[in-house]
Amino acid sequence: MFELGKKEGAENNHEDSARNEQQSQRNAARTEGASATSATTSRNVAVIGRSIRIDGDLQGEEDLCIEGDVNGTISLQNNTLTIGSEGKVKADVYAKSVIVDGMMEGDLYSSERVEVRRNATVNGNITAPRVSLEDGARFKGSMEMDQQAVEKAISAVANVATTNAGSETRSKDQSKTRSGLNGDKHATKPKSASRDTAEGRESVG
Amino acid sequence: MIQLSVRSADRETIEKPIRFNAPLFRSLVQRLDTGERCVVLDLGAARTQTVSLFGQYGCRLDIADLIDGVEQLNAEPDPECLQDRVEALLPVPHAEAADAVLCWDILNYLDRPALTALMSRVAARARPGTLVHMLIVYAGTHMPAYPGHIVPREDHSLLDVAVSRNEREAPRYTPCDLTDCLHGYSLERAVLLTNGLQEMLFRL
Repeated sequence: MFELGKKEGAENNHEDSARNEQQSQRNAARTEGASATSATTSRNVAVIGRSIRIDGDLQGEEDLCIEGDVNGTISLQNNTLTIGSEGKVKADVYAKSVIVDGMMEGDLYSSERVEVRRNATVNGNITAPRVSLEDGARFKGSMEMDQQAVEKAISAVANVATTNAGSETRSKDQSKTRSGLNGDKHATKPKSASRDTAEGRESVG
Repeated sequence: MIQLSVRSADRETIEKPIRFNAPLFRSLVQRLDTGERCVVLDLGAARTQTVSLFGQYGCRLDIADLIDGVEQLNAEPDPECLQDRVEALLPVPHAEAADAVLCWDILNYLDRPALTALMSRVAARARPGTLVHMLIVYAGTHMPAYPGHIVPREDHSLLDVAVSRNEREAPRYTPCDLTDCLHGYSLERAVLLTNGLQEMLFRL
């Protein structure tokens, strides 16, 4: 009995340890998943997925990775924009830093740095104090890397953005048609609503 | 007509890059040391080292990446259409004209009408006094079938990166040939380099 019990106990122990092992593996997997999730959260990167297509202006106060299609303008004055390998952007971009790994058509304004990776295709102009380009990347356009010219262009862009932000705040109560992306931090608006913005930027360019 | 048989997707470095000294290019870069603002137009493809070199001098670098357009330029028989094609291939003109133009390797692959049309549109994007740096295959009768990459090094020498093992006949443009083709340009200096390339500096 005792032996049986002992045996049973041993079997139970064996089963328990196997169960515990499985459990600990599951826990480890969960922890891994959780840490991956928290890493994404802590990095605060919003993602526009492959199947998403946006036509219009996009503004935000957090880092953004685009793997889908975006046409219009993108403004992330204090954040980093990453155009992923699947991303296709046809827009003028204003951001603190920009990393291009996909396709980009339009002008890029960055107050810090633009990085063009080897699989990227860029058709447009880059204005940034620091530009790096990996061999293999396709680029056609201009790279403005003169500090003074960059500062002038960026401050002009920032002024336009501030003016537009002011007019947006005023018009916020009047129009409730904007759809939010990823909470309140990103917002899209129809192109017709950004007419003043586009004209302002054109006059800057 | 010059035909380029290698598709851009197939282009890869096939041999060890060959370093060579280019005194006229070195003198061109040394002029940037004055700290004055400079706009550089590169007719070739964007390369890491080119961006890095001109970035450290705070230049504006315009990149035309004409290599894939060579075939269509050579195939165009109508002079007016040729001008239009060139215009479509070059970057959109800025208010600020180019101070220096880099024509590395690509001119070797252009027929004379295409070469003339291209350089006339380049002249429209440059200011009087603009320096045009060229590397022309001169000593050898043959050259790679497809334009390679010429990239600058930190010591301002250049690297020749071949991307094609096949060869084709080289046009071997002489300074006189080019002077005839390039209206409004005058030859400032020409140096025959040890690797068989002729380095030329034209001024607008």
